[in-house]
Amino acid sequence: MGSTEERVVAVIMVGGPTKGTRFRPLSLNIPKPLFPLAGQAMVHHPISACKKIPNLAQIYLVGFYEEREFALFVSSVSNELRVPVRYLREDKPHGSAGGLYNFRDLIMEDNPSHIVLLNCDVCCSFPLPEMLEAHRRYGGMGTILVIKVSPESAYQFGELVADPDTNELLHYTEKPETFVSDRINCGVYIFTPDIFTAIQGVSTQRKDRATLRRVSSFEALQPANRSLPTDYVRLDQDILSPLAGKKHLYVYETKDFWEQIKSPGMSLRSSGLYLAQFRFTSPHLLASGDGTKNATISGDVYIHPSAKVHPTAKIGPNVSISANARIGAGVRLVSCIILDDVEIKENAVVIHAIVGWKSSMGRWSRVQASGDYNAKLGVTILGESVIVEDEVVVINSIVLPNKTLNVSVQEEIIL
Amino acid sequence: MTALAVEASGGSRIFKSWEPTKIWEGARALTGDKGDHLSLKMKALILVGGFGTRLRPLTLSVPKPLVEFANKPMILHQIEALKAIGVTEVVLAINYQPEVMLNFLKEFETKLGIKITCSQETEPLGTAGPLALARDNLVDDSGEPFFVLNSDVISEYPLQEMIDFHKSHGGEASILVTKVDEPSKYGVVVMEESTGQVERFVEKPKVFVGNKINAGIYLLNPSVLDRIELRPTSIEKEVFPNIAAEKKLYAMVLPGFWMDIGQPRDYITGLRLYLDSLKKKSSPKLAFGPHIIGNVLVDESAKIGEGCLIGPDVAIGSGCIVESGVRLSRCTIMRGVRVKKHACISSSIIGWHSTVGQWARVENMTILGEDVHVCDEIYSNGGVVLPHKEIKSSILNPEIVM
Repeated sequence: MGSTEERVVAVIMVGGPTKGTRFRPLSLNIPKPLFPLAGQAMVHHPISACKKIPNLAQIYLVGFYEEREFALFVSSVSNELRVPVRYLREDKPHGSAGGLYNFRDLIMEDNPSHIVLLNCDVCCSFPLPEMLEAHRRYGGMGTILVIKVSPESAYQFGELVADPDTNELLHYTEKPETFVSDRINCGVYIFTPDIFTAIQGVSTQRKDRATLRRVSSFEALQPANRSLPTDYVRLDQDILSPLAGKKHLYVYETKDFWEQIKSPGMSLRSSGLYLAQFRFTSPHLLASGDGTKNATISGDVYIHPSAKVHPTAKIGPNVSISANARIGAGVRLVSCIILDDVEIKENAVVIHAIVGWKSSMGRWSRVQASGDYNAKLGVTILGESVIVEDEVVVINSIVLPNKTLNVSVQEEIIL
Repeated sequence: MTALAVEASGGSRIFKSWEPTKIWEGARALTGDKGDHLSLKMKALILVGGFGTRLRPLTLSVPKPLVEFANKPMILHQIEALKAIGVTEVVLAINYQPEVMLNFLKEFETKLGIKITCSQETEPLGTAGPLALARDNLVDDSGEPFFVLNSDVISEYPLQEMIDFHKSHGGEASILVTKVDEPSKYGVVVMEESTGQVERFVEKPKVFVGNKINAGIYLLNPSVLDRIELRPTSIEKEVFPNIAAEKKLYAMVLPGFWMDIGQPRDYITGLRLYLDSLKKKSSPKLAFGPHIIGNVLVDESAKIGEGCLIGPDVAIGSGCIVESGVRLSRCTIMRGVRVKKHACISSSIIGWHSTVGQWARVENMTILGEDVHVCDEIYSNGGVVLPHKEIKSSILNPEIVM
């Protein structure tokens, strides 16, 4: 079929700053792809997963952020994982497929036989080698990773219907109003280079339609006809939907975990999922301790080597502590992400929260939330450099950077 | 110069009986200046401070001193007032976003012909520490007193009268105080009414001790700097009480309006007071016409459509487009905003480059950050919207939209 030297190029879409404000307030201080989950940047997880693909030639990160925001990360991850990673900045929005097409020359430079396309903000086990094998068996143009979800939640995603025997994609619809299927699009794809032809086809078709067809005045008012430039191609509506049922696209189902990381609350949940995954893939990354020499650790916990945690503290489950954090005596941390340079003083408690860089929590202070990852205030977020004074309680709230809280608050957004 | 020296070194003087104009005429005769006092080379420090979190979401896009008030960056109101009475150098005490401030400074240094420098705190120094930090810029051999202003304060800036007052009482420090209705919300300055000599400061008093509060405008002799260490220090709580105890602190009551515009509600009230004072001076800057009610400021590059009713107490910034049939009252429309047809905005602040849709109604302390787009027919009752958002559904009760 193919030669043994079948190279693979991976493309990870990382998005950009003003699109998607759902990750605020954390996105006010850091590009979402660089926010740490289980001690590693969000985009680090798909990058590590790509490394498992045999003959991986190159990883491209494609997005709208300024190059300098990714420069440090890209060089450090390239060195750490010994795989070439490069950030490519889109000059203008091209849509999810248009972005891929925009850089096709670079992507095809390595003459890859397959292109892996991933969205950065999905939390997933990324079973790429198995998915690639399946894709080769199917022999189609593309294979989409799917997962089964509850029928009530499926409407939020792209719903797919596939042939149970051949795994061919029969039908695809994005965020439907009525129930179509409980299998949804995970945002992970494997394509052959034919995908570029398909994307170009959409562009050309749109261009021709624009010049040839005389549109009735009513049609001209429809948003779909009005606003899309010819080189703006969306993967879901413009490629997957039309090509479904034509024996080009297939699905590969994962039974592992999967979440979309749109809000800070979901980043806490995703951090927990990756920590649980570490127990199987990289147990050396997880902390351990029983309160004698080191702090008592319960469940899956990540502690950066430079962080200092007092032995009388109790940490976990689902806690991630970043560089240079200082956790004082008698502190209790449950289900939280403690970012760099945070200081938590004696006997403080944190439950279901994210404590921002350089923040400080006073003695006997308490920061907690309900832990409902989907609720707007379900996980308490303290932005950068927030000071919570001694004995102050912060519940189900979001605090923007550089604030000092000297009175307790509940259910509030503090600007 | 000798005449001045004699006056300044005199003991406490009865303010009412002293006639300022005579002294200054004498000074002018001696120095040969006409009108301005450039030869005196006065300096000023503006306490800009930190993050301006109370004015978020506006300050998420722009540092607070550069947020426009009445179509002019807040800090420019103060720098212009200082320039007008002969200050030659202004030091901005900042601890946040120096790069943005420095670009702004370059533009205005040349435009205004005044030297502007930044003194950056690497750790917060409170309200007095920054003065010690900027010491070398503030004092020179002339021994002249220097001004200290709080960047959030908007007022008539009676700086010349303050200089005259300071020279007359011969004390070490002068502060401006303003009369308020509810003094217990603030720090009250208790003073001897006839001389202005300050007896003490009382923070948020529980019983009535006086109705004058610290207006945040000071004129200090260089010797005050000897009292301030380079550490977090409060000028109201540590420095001024010491000077008052030595009977060397005097307070002058601010004539005219005063407002701390550091938060949206007071910003909107402050605009009303400011425009009112422009009216009293018959300022040509105020707009007039059949579609204008009360005091309204419209930048010359803004366009207003047919059938609008604008005012009272409205400021419309540069490049704004107000389409036909729009009603605006008690609001600030920042640079580059488009207000579409038939919309109605009151008691709100619309951030730079935002749009308000057709038939939208925006009211009751709605604050839109930069680049916020309120869709057609939407109602916002007190929505506080962070930058780069689209509002597609109505906000029925005050709420923060991130």
